[in-house]
Amino acid sequence: MVDEALEHLVKGIVDNPEDVSVNEKTHRRGATLEVRVNPEDIGKVIGRNGRTARSLRTVVSALAGRSVRVDLIETDEER
Amino acid sequence: MSEDLKEVGKESPQEEKKSLAARLEEEGDVAADYLEGLLDIADLDGDIEIGIENDRASLVIEGGELNHLVGKSGEVLDALQELTRLAVQTSTGERSRLMLDIDGFRAEKRESLAELAEKTAEAVKSSGESIKLQPMNAFERKIIHDTIQKIGLTSESEGEDPDRCVVVLPS
Repeated sequence: MVDEALEHLVKGIVDNPEDVSVNEKTHRRGATLEVRVNPEDIGKVIGRNGRTARSLRTVVSALAGRSVRVDLIETDEER
Repeated sequence: MSEDLKEVGKESPQEEKKSLAARLEEEGDVAADYLEGLLDIADLDGDIEIGIENDRASLVIEGGELNHLVGKSGEVLDALQELTRLAVQTSTGERSRLMLDIDGFRAEKRESLAELAEKTAEAVKSSGESIKLQPMNAFERKIIHDTIQKIGLTSESEGEDPDRCVVVLPS
């Protein structure tokens, strides 16, 4: 549910929603949600001083009921 | 360019008001879609009311079991409001100053801050000395300033966020 919620939140604030994808990666210390966005949108999802990235993490952690790590990645990377 | 500006200036106040209302209505609709989508995915029950208040779009979600979307001090609500404003900006191309409230959190906050402002004003009046309040965010400071102004005293903000606070001055 949380990955879907994050995808919805990000898709609504970018210019290229079709390029948004979310992957959940679990590791020993918990889960990380990796969000891939079009390189044109990376500045938008990070925001001034990381404000938007912080807002995304705050809302998603609240929905999950635990602290969730959110990584924002440009689609070109790691291909 | 300057002619265009003149044209806009010529518009009757009524027309201007109408276009503002139409714009705010659109803001409210976009914002409601964004929030409704989130509630659906999270399987949360909530009714969204859209309105216009002080020349801003206003959205209120009433659900009853949405405390976690407010957060201890409203930090989740602020984050959600921020994202919703961005969603509106992405859709309309214009910056949004919409206000989001969940289960009356902001309404209650407004009331308690207005009370604080009134008490502070009393103290300033009787002592003749200015009083500096705790650091507050922009929303909270505005309520203090507005209330102080209504009472007939003056106030100003000093310091930088997140330590910016209101000082109430004897008139």
